[in-house]
Amino acid sequence: MTQQGPIRIAGDSHLGKVRTTNEDTLIIERRVGLYAVLDGMGGANAGDVASQLALETIRDFVLDRRTTLAPRALLEAAIVAGSTAVFTAAQQHRERHGMGTTVVACLVVDPTHVVVAHVGDSRAYLLRGGRLQTLTRDHTIVEELVGRGLLTAEEAERHPYKNVLSRNLGARAEPRVDLLELELRPGDRLLLCSDGLYGYASAEAIQYLLGSGDAPEHVARDLIDLALRGGGGDNVSTIVIETPAAAPSSTQVVRTRGALAWWQSRQRFLQVANDGGLTRNPIVRGLLPHEAIELVALSLCQAIYHDLEKSTGVNVWTFAQNLAAGWFERGGDWKAVRGLIDILGASARSVVDDIRAGDAQLGFLLDVAVSRALIVVELALGGLLAERLRQVDGDLIELHTTAVDTAEHETIEMYELHEVHELTGEGPRPSERFIDRPTIPFLRPDRPITSSGESAEVLNAIGKTITIARGRLSPRAELVAQILVALETVATDNGGNFAAAVLAARELYGVRSVDNAGVTPLYDALDKARILVASSVHQIRAPQAIRVRVLRALSTAHQRLVGATTGLVLEAVGPFSERLREVQAVTNELHDAVAKAERLRADLERRFATIVDPSLPWGARGTTEW
Amino acid sequence: MSDSAMAEAVRVLRDEVLETAEHGDRDPPGTEVFDALLRALTIGGESVPGLDLALHDAVARRLAWGDSEEAVLADAELVFDRLLIAVDRAFRDPADRMVVIEAATQVAVTVSRVVALAAVARAGRDRAARMREEMSHRQLKDVLEKQKAAIKHLEHELKQDFR
Repeated sequence: MTQQGPIRIAGDSHLGKVRTTNEDTLIIERRVGLYAVLDGMGGANAGDVASQLALETIRDFVLDRRTTLAPRALLEAAIVAGSTAVFTAAQQHRERHGMGTTVVACLVVDPTHVVVAHVGDSRAYLLRGGRLQTLTRDHTIVEELVGRGLLTAEEAERHPYKNVLSRNLGARAEPRVDLLELELRPGDRLLLCSDGLYGYASAEAIQYLLGSGDAPEHVARDLIDLALRGGGGDNVSTIVIETPAAAPSSTQVVRTRGALAWWQSRQRFLQVANDGGLTRNPIVRGLLPHEAIELVALSLCQAIYHDLEKSTGVNVWTFAQNLAAGWFERGGDWKAVRGLIDILGASARSVVDDIRAGDAQLGFLLDVAVSRALIVVELALGGLLAERLRQVDGDLIELHTTAVDTAEHETIEMYELHEVHELTGEGPRPSERFIDRPTIPFLRPDRPITSSGESAEVLNAIGKTITIARGRLSPRAELVAQILVALETVATDNGGNFAAAVLAARELYGVRSVDNAGVTPLYDALDKARILVASSVHQIRAPQAIRVRVLRALSTAHQRLVGATTGLVLEAVGPFSERLREVQAVTNELHDAVAKAERLRADLERRFATIVDPSLPWGARGTTEW
Repeated sequence: MSDSAMAEAVRVLRDEVLETAEHGDRDPPGTEVFDALLRALTIGGESVPGLDLALHDAVARRLAWGDSEEAVLADAELVFDRLLIAVDRAFRDPADRMVVIEAATQVAVTVSRVVALAAVARAGRDRAARMREEMSHRQLKDVLEKQKAAIKHLEHELKQDFR
């Protein structure tokens, strides 16, 4: 019995272990947000009649009058009507004389606002921040005496009349109803229950179950089980009302929690990978078991963790490309890498299943992260194969081009085509390949210079925007301040924002190291500047049309600046690849030299063997050149 | 205009922004940027940098399959420029235009960030690969020295025998 929507409701009722009839009844009326527990009393089956009669009267009253009365008055009037109905019925039937019922009712006005009303000793509890509070005070003789200071709480517990009610529905036509309006907070849980629960279960146990985080239907059921284990001497009924938990402040918060949960489970991940046979995989042959686990499983673990924590995806890609390179170096056996991926996948999923059992949201997040990592690994393997194919393709094209060039050269000589070119003014066009084309337009010397072309009004507004943005910066955010100045320069530069962007980017980039520690802060600052500028544009005093132009100019400047900065990063990274290519060329030369020497040595050994072994025929002992 | 309505209004500009008439309808250059923009508009201004992993994967996949970083950047820049022109024409309400411009800038910055971080990661890989190559140089040189010694020895033996 769970309500779909922002608030979740569940209720349950049980006969108990002693009674033969259940005199408790529940109202769960989702249409109007009315929920109540009623506990009937009176001999000869009159208790269940009283609670049923009160239930119908209260429910019908609320359904009929909900549009005409305010929530608080509505609930109070409904309970009074219920009491009148029970009282009248008791007066009309001699055998039902003295019947009555308690009630604790809750009217949910909206997800943050409820009205709670009660008569008798059925209770309402609120669990907030992990602490259980009783919202109602029992209408018993003893409790009244405690309230007046005539009895202590300890004396009340042992008092022979502690269960004798001072108020109930049916004792009089119009009983006094206690009402309470409550503002609910995210994550709050309300419990409505009959005395069959708290009479047989401790407040600590109720608090524990209510705060367990289980779904309301499970909690309602578990509370009843708790009372039954405590003796179950009375009918027991519960209704659990749960407001939705507070939404996390951003997706990043959830990701950080997921990253932590994942990282805390890394030992289990490594253990399962080890048990799964990762150390026996051909790709890690030659490594000690702990080295293999660290190199492959721990690296993946770290990559997923860092990607979740920093909200980037680069670490998994780096891991995948390293794995792909290692796989290729070790012979490129598909079965081996497939086996490795399967082991990693199975290990990761077993960890995710454990986390999911405790927190479904984190389980889902990690499931996605792990699936993504495995897909990325396969993509990287595919990418490596494509790259190798492209290399082969390039070699073939080069061979083909050489052959065609030779043929063309002969043709040109034949027809003296250069004379034709001189006449037409055209030179022979070399075949342009895609990779020869310059692709960063702003680094191209022939890039057309574009003026910002903005009016004085817009330029003035740009200046104001940057001033506002700088005013909102903390003094320590020097890099962001520097970026804001650069943005203003680029956005207002009349000589063309591409050149200005490259110059500004060079100043910003400075002498940064080519690693995450050097580059990431720069991009973080660029993003902060973007957010600052976007919000500051809305604060300048200018017509909306001007604001749009200011935002456009600054956004364009931002895009140019970030692009130029990335161009510089690529420039800085270039030498690493070039150096690798040079070293690889030396490796190839060495491989060739070793192969050549090996052939020579084998040849000499063969000749030597035929000379020193006289049993071989003369012809086999050497050639005529000796 | 609601987030989803805004995304729908920008989706209409796809052919114009991606120049599908020239590049074809299937994955024209810059598709990943345009799709990321639609996602950004749909979720309504999430500002955590690099959070759009789908964009990250799309860019990383292009790089892994052989497109240069420069090509990815240039496509992003073209999409950004064409989008700004298209938005000026297509949206009358300045507030809507501002929303799209902000989202487009966010995506453009994210693309640059992803490309830069991928390049940095590549540099790290290249550095590690170079170390591996240099280690294998030492091993190969050792082997070569041993082979040279063996060859010298064999040549010497052969000359002795014939003498």
